[in-house]
Amino acid sequence: MSLGKLLERIVQLVPVLLGVSLIVFVMMALTPGDPVQIMVGEQSITPAQEAELRHSLGLDRPMAERFFIFLMNAAHFDFGTSFYHGRPVADVIAERLPATIELSLVALVVALATAIPLGVMAAIRKNSLLDRVATVGSLLGVSLPGFWFGILLIMLFAVHMQILPVSGRIGYDNEVAAVTGFLLIDTLLAGDIAAFGDALRHLILPAITLGLPMTAILMRVTRTSMLEVMRQDYVTFAEAKGLPRRRVLYRHALKNALIPTVSVAAIETGSLLGGNMIVETVFGWPGLGRLVVESIFLRNYPLIQAAVLLYAVTYVLLNFIADILYTVLNPRVKL
Amino acid sequence: MTDAAILSVPQAESLFRRNLRDFRRNRLAMASLIVILVFVVMAVAAPLIAPQDPNETDLLRRLQPPGWAPGGDWAYALGCDGLGRDILSRIIYGARISIFIGLAVIFLATGVGILAGLAAGYFRGWVDVVISRVVDILLGFPYLIFAIGLMAMMGPGLMNIVLALAYKEWVIPCRVVRGETLAVRELEYVEAARALGAGPRHIMWREILPNILSPVIVISTIRMANVIILEASLSFLGLGVQPPTASWGSMVSDGRAFILEAWWVSTFPGIAILLLVLAINVASQGLRDAFDPRFSE
Amino acid sequence: MRTLPRLLLATALAACPALVPAASSAADLIVGFTLDADTLDPANHRKRETETIIRNMYDGLLTRDANMLVVPEIAESMTQVSATEYDFKIRPGIRFHDGTEMTAEDVKFTLDRVVQDGGMGDGVTSPRQGLMGPVASVEVTAPDTVRITLKEPWPILPAMLPNQQIVSKAWVEKTGNEGVATAENGTGPFKLAEWRKGDAVILERFDDYYGGATDIAPVGPACVDRVIFKIIPESASRVAALLAGEVHIINELPAFSIGQVEANEGTQVMTVNGTRSFFIAMNMQGEYFDDLKVRQAAAMAIDKQLIIDKILAGNAAPIDGILSPDAFGASELPHAGYDPEKAKALLAEAGFPDGIDVTMDVEGAFKDTAEAVASMLTKAGIRTTVAVGEGAQLSDKWRTKGAPKSGDMYFTSWGNGSLDPFDIFTPTHRTNDRGNSAGYANPDLDAVLDAAAVELDVEKRRAMYHDAEMMINADQPYVYLWVPQDIYGVSKRVTGWQPSADSRINLHDACLN
Repeated sequence: MSLGKLLERIVQLVPVLLGVSLIVFVMMALTPGDPVQIMVGEQSITPAQEAELRHSLGLDRPMAERFFIFLMNAAHFDFGTSFYHGRPVADVIAERLPATIELSLVALVVALATAIPLGVMAAIRKNSLLDRVATVGSLLGVSLPGFWFGILLIMLFAVHMQILPVSGRIGYDNEVAAVTGFLLIDTLLAGDIAAFGDALRHLILPAITLGLPMTAILMRVTRTSMLEVMRQDYVTFAEAKGLPRRRVLYRHALKNALIPTVSVAAIETGSLLGGNMIVETVFGWPGLGRLVVESIFLRNYPLIQAAVLLYAVTYVLLNFIADILYTVLNPRVKL
Repeated sequence: MTDAAILSVPQAESLFRRNLRDFRRNRLAMASLIVILVFVVMAVAAPLIAPQDPNETDLLRRLQPPGWAPGGDWAYALGCDGLGRDILSRIIYGARISIFIGLAVIFLATGVGILAGLAAGYFRGWVDVVISRVVDILLGFPYLIFAIGLMAMMGPGLMNIVLALAYKEWVIPCRVVRGETLAVRELEYVEAARALGAGPRHIMWREILPNILSPVIVISTIRMANVIILEASLSFLGLGVQPPTASWGSMVSDGRAFILEAWWVSTFPGIAILLLVLAINVASQGLRDAFDPRFSE
Repeated sequence: MRTLPRLLLATALAACPALVPAASSAADLIVGFTLDADTLDPANHRKRETETIIRNMYDGLLTRDANMLVVPEIAESMTQVSATEYDFKIRPGIRFHDGTEMTAEDVKFTLDRVVQDGGMGDGVTSPRQGLMGPVASVEVTAPDTVRITLKEPWPILPAMLPNQQIVSKAWVEKTGNEGVATAENGTGPFKLAEWRKGDAVILERFDDYYGGATDIAPVGPACVDRVIFKIIPESASRVAALLAGEVHIINELPAFSIGQVEANEGTQVMTVNGTRSFFIAMNMQGEYFDDLKVRQAAAMAIDKQLIIDKILAGNAAPIDGILSPDAFGASELPHAGYDPEKAKALLAEAGFPDGIDVTMDVEGAFKDTAEAVASMLTKAGIRTTVAVGEGAQLSDKWRTKGAPKSGDMYFTSWGNGSLDPFDIFTPTHRTNDRGNSAGYANPDLDAVLDAAAVELDVEKRRAMYHDAEMMINADQPYVYLWVPQDIYGVSKRVTGWQPSADSRINLHDACLN
């Protein structure tokens, strides 16, 4: 990976961020619902007060002007003040982000660690009992709405068996100095094994709920592409040449078979980050997704804009990583 | 390769028949096909087979347990929901909505996705840049947030749900097709076809597409499951189908609140989703295993 | 081979040595709460939930007891000097959490910050300005006395003052608005220990607390060491957390979960009469509901009691006017009664013997109830389709302040936290007012409401509101439905706490056994 490629990627980021910002602005302009009205709610307010409020939120300017101001400020990493928090949007988002990333990464790791071995095994022993069980089992994972599955898990493990907590990230007796914001890391840095265990216990149910559908998808993709690769001429050829089957499978076939897996994993991780508001709601997980959905309903424009930009950057980064992995897995693919 | 497969067919039996026989031998796939058929018949014949009016509310039957449980009534075999409506009848009618949403979104999305992905992966250059940027922009939006935004913008309604879900769904097959095309276009047989003077259309449709179709089918079927679930997610966020229409997703979502008091309200539609999705996937896998020459044993 | 169950087992095993007792120390009272605070600035918040959290750290001049009676808190006494002037004598010896003494200057600063245009500095006006009505000025008239002067008589000033919490002038000026948003320096029974944004607000007892309102026993420092507002937005999870013993109080317990909580050994249900009136607006500018007979038909078609019994589990009071039975000026009113046959007859008289087809807008949260109502209306010939919309869009559509509106019916509600009619009657019924979704216009009623708003004689004012209720009861611009109770799930370990009608959770007196 040359420096030039890296620069090229960064340059590519610009149109994506512009496009995303523009779409958000257009959607906000076309969506009925006035932030000032929502904010005022049932309170009484004089027209003068209302105009004042509108002005102080910067909503009295035309849409195009607001878009321009937003772009200029965003270029300096200034995303404005949240309508509801009385603080810079960047701060509000930064507080919530680690929880979301931590949950997503743990879910991703669980999914990959389960899906790839299962998918490969299922492909190698196609139509075996293992294949069928894994296939049907993985499908169970995508066949249940996450919120429902999450509630079932809570009922079973938290209410009935009382071995795992219902909600939250960590108990309240643990005081953890925030270094990275990731509790699993921070507790270890603090050398507090009990707190680490507590954080882990809080992660189990949400991570399973979030990771299970992804496990199912990745397992199926891995199985299919593994089967496909095993049919390719070069694999047959290598086998015919007398190379050990195991070596052919793992050294040659698996690498190529993982390309679609990586591609799908990158996409799914993006949607994990932005799609976990449901898991966050069910498990009272203090992440960003919940905040963004709430902001949409409240028309908290600055927060929506900043969050969507953040998601876009994350997505592009993830794909960058996926592209690097492509070349590692299959040198014939040129970036 | 196709030619080789045809040559290997015993003379007395056509390829189709042999494939059909293979498929029939796959008992799991046959069972799934039957399940799907049952659901489709259920959806089509809903007015004939539903024991009750699915929208008839009666608060006196609120949260009535299933027929076999104490306090149940076999006229309402699977019990009643929070408004005293018959859950069985709502599941039967709900099959229409859920199947429609799943099919509509997936057909729309897969069609667009294949075209865009093939073009991007084959032509590369500026076509790839443009399509990839559009895909990036759309994928840069978290899926649900985009759907919520669109729903807020367009207002509720069945067609709007389909659009809100399809707007982004197409980028997933597109991404996969592009990635696969990138890999496949370098393979010998594509090079060979190109050397023989085949045009891009021929190469894309005849040489590349058949070779990358299986992952697309796998992903599309799984995504169809996902679409049905996403519809439930929209319901969870208060943006689902309009009442009193029953969709399985909205039934699970509305029923989740009662899960401690009346498990049947969300469990039966949940099982319906599970069965259908499972069946579609198993059957599609069986079909492909039987009909795709590259997979025939 | 790594399978999912294996992995789970491994994780569980890894966690085992660290299996700490599930929740927290014995002296932590944990509230499972629907929403996190947006900010801790008493002058800059917009949600009831935020106010609930803030008010455990900040006290106000006046407060309410559990029965909604307004009593002095930081103020020692309140004297009405004239129709537009109120004097508040400040109690001596009250300390902020940073140890400094609270003075009359702090009170003036606090109120100025809310009342004045740009009062928060940097050109920012408090979003809570509207709650202070026609306040003209706030002056320190003696070292321990603050005078509030009004532009015009406003009898509900005492009822509105509990919404304002006193901040330290020196601290706010030093910290700035952004600092005030995330830290606190109040005079209340608890001080902020840690705010884990989106997850929990952890408060600990303030040992130098002056004791709180003398009229609300017990007076003194708080009972528990720590109070934790743990944010659990999903109802089913909140109930689960209560049943699992992870939290001790939960708000917004769904009515259908009452049985579960009561059946569970260590938990009970507590209710308090709410202050939010539910009603259905009928578009009086529309083609059907301009006719009184059609509106009456709608009112008669709905079996309120059945819905209250079945969907709200009996936890609501039916109403025949806008006011809650607990509100000032509420009175016994004639009620239409449930009579679908008569409803059909009225429809026929109005010229619709075959019935009418209408749409009823509702927010998702009340979909169930609205559907039940719709099916009752349908059976009486008003064939009603429920349309679920988003709150922001529906209020745009219906609360048009006099601009023309579309739509037939709107299932909605209006809060009345002060339990004073001014807060609810005027906005929903005065011509073109901000909550007049029905598009109702009655100049006679407007005159009564305007007069009542400034009437200082309590009995006269009560009579005026009774007259007003009789007018709307006759005109039926809305179908008045019910006032639901607030329902809480509470661990039996909690003592000394009771829910309050303004939805505030005051934990000063709560103990945990």
